[in-house]
Amino acid sequence: MLTGQITSAIIGIALAGAILFLVRRDHLHGPYALWWFAVAAATFALGVFPALITWLGRVTGIFYPPVLPIVVGLSLVLIRMLKLDIDRSKQERQIRRLTQKLAILEQELDRLGGKSSPALPDDHTP
Amino acid sequence: MPARDEAPTVGSVVEGVRRMLPCRVLVVDDASGDATAQAARVAGATVLRLPLGLGAWGATQAGIRYARRNGFSEVITLDADGQHQPDSVPMLRAARERSGANVVIGTCVGRLSRAKRIAWRYLRLLTGLKLTDFTSGLRLYDADAIDVLAGQEASLLDYQDVGVLMLLARSGLKITETPVTMLPRRAGRSRVFASWPVVARYMVHTTVLCLAQLDPARRRARTAGADPIC
Repeated sequence: MLTGQITSAIIGIALAGAILFLVRRDHLHGPYALWWFAVAAATFALGVFPALITWLGRVTGIFYPPVLPIVVGLSLVLIRMLKLDIDRSKQERQIRRLTQKLAILEQELDRLGGKSSPALPDDHTP
Repeated sequence: MPARDEAPTVGSVVEGVRRMLPCRVLVVDDASGDATAQAARVAGATVLRLPLGLGAWGATQAGIRYARRNGFSEVITLDADGQHQPDSVPMLRAARERSGANVVIGTCVGRLSRAKRIAWRYLRLLTGLKLTDFTSGLRLYDADAIDVLAGQEASLLDYQDVGVLMLLARSGLKITETPVTMLPRRAGRSRVFASWPVVARYMVHTTVLCLAQLDPARRRARTAGADPIC
């Protein structure tokens, strides 16, 4: 039997750890990284010190224990959003590289006067 | 030379560099709305035109990728707004020969405002890089640095300064600085130090970037036995 304290600590630490891991692995682009850093900090704090929630509940007037399903549901939503931001970061990287390559190829095309291009070394990146 | 809406100055900067060095001058037009590309071409530069604005670093990286694709072994970047004097370009090359560094940054210490000094002290603390000016666009990159910066990992960086320098340092490259003289901007304003909200955003962004990279940088520096400067 886990106590509520341990359960919430596990959830908070796991979520914060997963986010930090992904941010550090360079999967997230600047502004998203900031957002997820904040989420990681919040989940960590609330998970390890659930007394904060009690305090928050008292301050805001909302104090009703069976919110665990909601917390789990929200966590899933957050994970989904995390995945979306990861994909967007990847796309941003691809768009930037394609934009650069387009400009480079356009310049080569201009230089060659639109004639068929000779074999140029390709750096195998988009 | 990354350029966005710098038509009034880009031509004279290109001509100045061509007078100083017998090199290919490449202007990367970052989706300008004015005649930047034509002015650069008339002055004798090769021009890349980015169809979407990528920012100063995105434009610079386009130039670095061009250099890599065409087999150049050295890239010198400078701002198109006329604040960097073409005669500081040979000083960068001299500093490279003297120090054997992979990257040389031209800095003008006297130009730094008080706010910048404080910001840089903070960044020095955060990054462990012992540099006096993080945002100077006057830089020399050698072939190793070109290889690193042309890669995928450098494509998501938004500013050319801390992220780029930390990437270079993590790759085990040596970074050095050399003092140069700079002119006040003839036109336009600094993109980073434009207003307080922009500065705040930049500092927060950079802090997050540093936090995300802090430990790997230290670990690799230790295992490689690298110079603490880089």
